[in-house]
Amino acid sequence: MSKGVLVDVTRCIGCKSCAVSCKTWNDLPSKTSTFTNNWDSPGKVTADAWTIITSFVIEQGDQIKWRFVKRQCMHCNEPACESACFTHSFVKTKEGAVIYKPTELKQDYCVGCRYCMIACPFGIPSFQWDKAFPYVQKCRFCYDRMKEQGLQPACVTSCPTQTLLFGDRDKLLKEAWDRINRDQRYVKHVYGEKEYGGTSWLYISDVPFDKIGFRTEAYGKPVSQKSIPSYTWDVLKWTPYIFFGWGAILTAMRAYTKRRAQVHDESELYEPEKKG
Amino acid sequence: MTNSFTDYKNSDVFLMIGANPAENHPQVMRFAGIAAAKRGAKIIVVDPRFTKTAAKADIYAPIRPGTDIAFLYGIMNYAIENNLYFHDYVVNYTNASFLVSPEYGFSDGLFTGLTEKDGNFSYDTKTWQYQTDGANIKKDPTLQDPQCVFQILKRHVSRYDIKTVCNITGTPEDVYRKVCELYCSTGKPDKAGNLLYAMGITQHTYGGQNVRATAMLQLLLGNIGIAGGGVNAQRGESNVQGSTDQAMLYHYIPGYNPCPDVNTPTLKDYIEKQVPKTSYWSNRNKFIISMLKAWFGDKATAENDFCYGWLPKHTGKDHSHMAIFQAMAEGKIKGFFAWGQNPAVGGPLASRTRDALAKLDWMVGVDLFETETVSFWKRPGVNPADIKTEVFLLPTAMSYEKEGTVANSSRWIQWRWKAVEPPGEAKSDLWIADRIFKAIRKEYQAGGKFTDPILNMVWDYDVPGHDEPDIMKVGREMNGYLVADGSLLDSFAKLKEDGSTACGVWIYAGYMFVDPALKVPACQRRSREDKTGLGLFPKWSFAWPANRRIVYNRCSADPAGKPWDPAKTLVAWDGTQWITNDVPDFGFKDANTGAFIPPNISASNCFIMNTEGVGRLFAPTGMKDGPLPEHYEPIESPVKNLISKQQNNPVAARYKGDFAKVAHTASPEFPYIATTHRLVEHYQSGAVTRNCPTLAEFMPEMFATISPGLAKKLGVKPGDLIVVSTVRGEITCKANVLPIVKPLKVNGSEIEIVGLPWHWGYQGLAPGSTANDLTPFVGDPNTMIPEYKAFLCNVKKASGH
Repeated sequence: MSKGVLVDVTRCIGCKSCAVSCKTWNDLPSKTSTFTNNWDSPGKVTADAWTIITSFVIEQGDQIKWRFVKRQCMHCNEPACESACFTHSFVKTKEGAVIYKPTELKQDYCVGCRYCMIACPFGIPSFQWDKAFPYVQKCRFCYDRMKEQGLQPACVTSCPTQTLLFGDRDKLLKEAWDRINRDQRYVKHVYGEKEYGGTSWLYISDVPFDKIGFRTEAYGKPVSQKSIPSYTWDVLKWTPYIFFGWGAILTAMRAYTKRRAQVHDESELYEPEKKG
Repeated sequence: MTNSFTDYKNSDVFLMIGANPAENHPQVMRFAGIAAAKRGAKIIVVDPRFTKTAAKADIYAPIRPGTDIAFLYGIMNYAIENNLYFHDYVVNYTNASFLVSPEYGFSDGLFTGLTEKDGNFSYDTKTWQYQTDGANIKKDPTLQDPQCVFQILKRHVSRYDIKTVCNITGTPEDVYRKVCELYCSTGKPDKAGNLLYAMGITQHTYGGQNVRATAMLQLLLGNIGIAGGGVNAQRGESNVQGSTDQAMLYHYIPGYNPCPDVNTPTLKDYIEKQVPKTSYWSNRNKFIISMLKAWFGDKATAENDFCYGWLPKHTGKDHSHMAIFQAMAEGKIKGFFAWGQNPAVGGPLASRTRDALAKLDWMVGVDLFETETVSFWKRPGVNPADIKTEVFLLPTAMSYEKEGTVANSSRWIQWRWKAVEPPGEAKSDLWIADRIFKAIRKEYQAGGKFTDPILNMVWDYDVPGHDEPDIMKVGREMNGYLVADGSLLDSFAKLKEDGSTACGVWIYAGYMFVDPALKVPACQRRSREDKTGLGLFPKWSFAWPANRRIVYNRCSADPAGKPWDPAKTLVAWDGTQWITNDVPDFGFKDANTGAFIPPNISASNCFIMNTEGVGRLFAPTGMKDGPLPEHYEPIESPVKNLISKQQNNPVAARYKGDFAKVAHTASPEFPYIATTHRLVEHYQSGAVTRNCPTLAEFMPEMFATISPGLAKKLGVKPGDLIVVSTVRGEITCKANVLPIVKPLKVNGSEIEIVGLPWHWGYQGLAPGSTANDLTPFVGDPNTMIPEYKAFLCNVKKASGH
């Protein structure tokens, strides 16, 4: 049963209880930060701040909307980080969490190549640049709470306004569409339902997603509904054919050139010496 | 507050004025959110800044700081003019029909009775009294008599028409009209309007009258005493409710009883002067005598006035925060305990406050961290060698490192268990108080002036073999017990004036009484039982008074006892008996016979704490600055008062010397209105939160919010350093440029607003400049609260940036 969280942006009051409880549960250190005009320091997820509240003041004529958006790993159905990692350090669990094996399961094969960071369409995995033996860090969906203790993620339990709803992803999707259909304020879209092949974290909002920091376009087109690994698959599926095809061709070429070389060699062997 | 947080889910319309619960009381938004989702409740937010709460509002109404009375009166005027007030409620449950003395008058901003003595103004309240016929107050239930309260109120608020109000407040007229329409829709029997306020209402030189105006509006719309209604003060800090209950105020003793003063030297005098003939306060003698029995035990006897003579007597002088610091600056105070407070950041004109501390011989700080107050002697810009004050810092345990109760805004006295041991040498406040008292008593045993109260005080909280005093023993003393056998009282109704009962805080009676079913003291109960589904939770902790969740609940039913809204029944008369979903706030059962008292008796005595038995639209007593609120300008204002010639509250509290500095009206040097506020990441002076690494990371630096228009005019970009100055000083901080503040159109001209969070000082992980270095040293004459919320400033780009 794959779990997820439905984030209802209309309910968030920007109290940051989720961000504080994330740090507390996961024992994350705090860093010196600086003023941000939108009151959302540190402003982006970091290796020590896995969940943050971003803030957007949107002016529409005389009216102002101020929205607070929790950001963390989206826990993709088919994660790009997992497919980009040649040491297989990331894995999508059946519970829905995308976990990092070196810290979660103590299976440390990570070489620090940071391909995961480049691959992630949401810019989530963060590197411990200040550590001698660094890891890649990101939200782990409180995998330990979920798996071992049957608890909801720390952020969900600390939210005072029921902005965060934890449950089975398919049920959350139904709830999301129920809310959208009941209340005309909502944008008719569930972010994460289809984006990049779908994510465990789902968002609904009353302001367009591109106004609150979500990537809705890439290279001038709507973001893909296909997962990032599926793009890789589009190419990689030819690997056996290419592998064996090229093998055959190269073997044939090798045989041909070798034969030709032998013929040459023979002709050279028997060719009379040139004088001059 | 009258209702409770869990009751908010029953509201139909919220009027949040001068409150920013999304940042300061996030749990409010939980229950407001439930009301919105389940009942389609609407939220109106009235605030000078577009706050995080405003971000959740259905209607956001901008308001110029300090114009709340005009705003609220405009709504009342709209309700009266359009006949939207709750007529039956107003006639029966308020003093609307009461006739006021023909001598009462009001003209050009002043009420009758203003007198001057040595340049100080005060009101003589003689002309504000009711007309009487023997012992009875004269009434006109038709509300037509020109001297009845309703007609006086109607005349008074008729001056506040929508155009005038919006000229004063700067609220756009169309928005204001929508507010009036929506909020007055709650003047119906089956609609509940919930008025929430906080420091935006109280911190003004007429803060008390601001609160009066909120209560009057709620009375007019029949919103008091009902589920989902009420006047709900979101208290400014955790357990401030508890501390006022214990009388951490200079003019009260515990349980909101007036402090004995020089005019009441004997118990007989006190009873004659302070115990009224009517209202529940007619039992005050029982409360006081029981308190004296709790304090002085066997030594308190009927023969010696229960040791009343040992209580200190108030001289009537001002001993509020501001007066104390003025006296300190004048060298009149030698020693000072800063116990869990940080006036060097939190007090008005904090820079002078810090200077005043240097006049002390000694100071004791009791705190979690080395606050700005306890480190004033080494603050930036001073030479520690020049400061002679001896400073002690006693490290204390945080609330999770000790056990005891915390009373929240809902009046729930909730027991909190200790989670972890305090670090290092930190001790609980009780341990510190206990050791200090014992040390003082030891000194007094060697003799001294007036040793009796110290030597004879009941102080028996020790547990053999334990370092920590027994807080349960303190609790039992506060709860009250029978002197004969020490058994705990379940209610203050059991208190006696003959010395047979002892009770430290009468309103707390019952909070330690063991629940017969749950087998724990009431304040430790954690049952989620809620039979009515109204969120009353009668077995979750204990709500004072008497575990009553919604006070004045007699008003939830009509005079015959039929609930105005049967879906939200708190109490109801079924013809023979009372159905009591909440603990009734009226005489419903005869104490001796146990027989039910029919509803007609309580209908005329539904506000049992008022001598006239009903809610006061007009207050003949209790307020120092008028029987009705009236709009005055803040002491520092950019405009002349548009409603009368009287610019300021004539009896506002003002101070001398350095503390008297205020900008004059429409000062060209200080053209902008500043208002202080808080942020969700920090708490009060930041003494704790700026030492929490996570919170310091989430909100690291002091800033001032200015509108994009003002930023453009000043050539300031977000994050630039700016200088904010008032006539009292200046601070430097980062510029926050957001349209969450916008200039307001006041009487035709645009006035800029500057928002200043007041969490920063020079100590902690995230230091920053202190907003209160700028705030004026003036206050409300009733409460002495400083005017933090409205003053004049200037903003400039910092030089070299």
